[in-house]
Amino acid sequence: MNAWTDVIVVLVALTNLGLLGSSRLSVCIRVVAVQGIFFGLAAVLLRAEPITVDLAVVAAASAIVKGIVFPVLLLRTARNVNIRREVEPFVGFSTSLFVGLVLLAFALWIGAQMPVEANPTGSLVIPLALFTVMVGLFTIASRRKAVTQVLGYLTMENGIFAFGVTVVGGIPVLVELGVLMDVFVAVFVMCIATWHISREFDHVDVDQLDALKG
Amino acid sequence: MDAGALILIQLALPALFAAACLVLRSPKAVLATVALGALVMAASTGATVWAVHVHGTLGAVGEWFFLDALSAYHLVLLSIVFGLSSLYSWKYFAHPHEKARFDLRTARRFGALWFGAAAAMTLVLESNNLGILWVGVEASTLLTAFLICLHVSPASLEAMWKYLIMCSVGVAFAFIGTLLVSASAAHAKLDGSDALLWTHLKAVAGNLNPTLLKMGFIFLLVGYGTKAGLAPMHGWLPDAHSQAPAPVSAVFSGFLLNSALYCIMRYIPIVEAGTGHVGWGLGILTLFGLASILIAAGFIVFQNDAKRLLAYSSVEHMGIIAVGLGLGGFGVFAAMFHAANHSIAKPLGFFSAGRLGQMYGTHDMTKMKGVLRVSPVWGGGFFFSLLALIGVAPFAIFMSEFQILRAAFDTGALVTLALFVAGTCIVFVGALRHAVRAAWEPADEAIRPEPAGALDIALVFLPLAAMLAFGLFLPSFASGAFAEAAKIIGGTP
Repeated sequence: MNAWTDVIVVLVALTNLGLLGSSRLSVCIRVVAVQGIFFGLAAVLLRAEPITVDLAVVAAASAIVKGIVFPVLLLRTARNVNIRREVEPFVGFSTSLFVGLVLLAFALWIGAQMPVEANPTGSLVIPLALFTVMVGLFTIASRRKAVTQVLGYLTMENGIFAFGVTVVGGIPVLVELGVLMDVFVAVFVMCIATWHISREFDHVDVDQLDALKG
Repeated sequence: MDAGALILIQLALPALFAAACLVLRSPKAVLATVALGALVMAASTGATVWAVHVHGTLGAVGEWFFLDALSAYHLVLLSIVFGLSSLYSWKYFAHPHEKARFDLRTARRFGALWFGAAAAMTLVLESNNLGILWVGVEASTLLTAFLICLHVSPASLEAMWKYLIMCSVGVAFAFIGTLLVSASAAHAKLDGSDALLWTHLKAVAGNLNPTLLKMGFIFLLVGYGTKAGLAPMHGWLPDAHSQAPAPVSAVFSGFLLNSALYCIMRYIPIVEAGTGHVGWGLGILTLFGLASILIAAGFIVFQNDAKRLLAYSSVEHMGIIAVGLGLGGFGVFAAMFHAANHSIAKPLGFFSAGRLGQMYGTHDMTKMKGVLRVSPVWGGGFFFSLLALIGVAPFAIFMSEFQILRAAFDTGALVTLALFVAGTCIVFVGALRHAVRAAWEPADEAIRPEPAGALDIALVFLPLAAMLAFGLFLPSFASGAFAEAAKIIGGTP
């Protein structure tokens, strides 16, 4: 809607590409955290009408959980299971970057197809939210380490949060907080699961969890 | 007392029991609390459902919570499945093999997650707010994840991770769908919090933006369909069902899947009205249903693991319910009847497979032979529950499948009819072979029979008696409840 939103749009697009192009886990975790903070900011800046208390609460809670709690939790998990980088993903890092650009173009195209009611502000935030969701999915599908898959899930949730704030004005604060709590518990549960997997298997390459078939 | 308070009691009970389980001092006390809690919840469900019957609908906390015939019907299914499974866990965890591993920590975790999952599923059924509905579904995923790997092993961790990732991602899709449906109401002068309330959306369904509604429904179907185990999103299901302890598998199969399907049911009338009653959404649902039946049929024929067999059978039955819903009209009634039958018969299958697994030390059906001699009670339960599940007359599933066939015939959906018959026949032949071998081939001498107690006999007898009774004569209170529930999703008796 204003210059600030456009700046945030560009920065978030860059965080997505950063996630795709980086092999170091600590970098990826921080990139996703920064993205969460940006989306919290965007939620406040995007609204044309005056900022309500509800919106401020949701944006602040989201930014704190995604920007501070999650990175601490994930960095600790990565340290406990002794993982520093994503090794030999199914899709290499430069190819991933290229896929990211294709997804960005695709997201812009879909955004243009959406009915006007869905995008009252006419901004680039919706295509960006879709782009973020797609990058998250791609990360889950193309990476081996459990921790990276959690990051993919988190990226997806970031995108959905932005999508919700833009598309539906005024989701009740209780619903938003309920969703945030679910995401928090999900990441928490996934971190514990990662730790169990590492203890049982001595690795966290979830693509090797393939004993159950048929 | 205001009848709406019953809604809150229904939600508070499992939460309280979950908390209580965390401070108990022995595994036995936890199991007793589980059994007692399930009975208390069943009594409370009885009162709530009676109130819905008298008042039509109940509401609480503004319009955030409400109960109508459809949610009351599902509430009854939940308390049947949950009640039976809770009583069964008393037997299951008392077995010497389990007892050694079922220490206090494990027991407390089991009790808390068990009731927590019940609370989450109750929240799903009682929400009028579609956002809260989603929160409930996601919470039920997270609370049940650690029930799969109650006993940590490589296989159970693998199953748990797949379940966690696939269902979390799937259900995230459903949230996008929820947002899109809610956005489609902007045009209809619904705004903010009202645009997430089911009753409001349904009232203005004709004025919703059809493009957004259609996009939303596809996301919802894929999202909640993942959790409901509809093919081709069912990848997590056989692993989770086979690795979880038997009482957990029973709840997964008997109700967790239904609770996700229930979410899809809620959107059907809105989508149908919003797209002009041309059966757009129903057609897609039928397609997913048929895919589930046929894919499951293929896996059932070549299956050697008893619990995986039952898991694929769940995929098949979810497909059958989806086909019934997709046919509309009388098919919806048949789908309600079928869902009830499945939720009664399937837990018995898992109970029996679980107890026999403890006696044989394996779930491999090439080794589980002569089950009738080793344990007449649980062997009989396994044999007859398989027969009931594949639709042998006069068990009730035969009747509900027949009704779905009739609905398909009446609406002229002949391709659906042909594929449905093909799929169920493959399942019939494939599973019958397993059932016959399990029942009559001579057992290994080394397997020692175990005596059965009164609770064992009751757990086998009650579901089978219900299946027979429903198959021979459907009482009017049951058919009335199915018809009331079906009416809400656009069905006719």
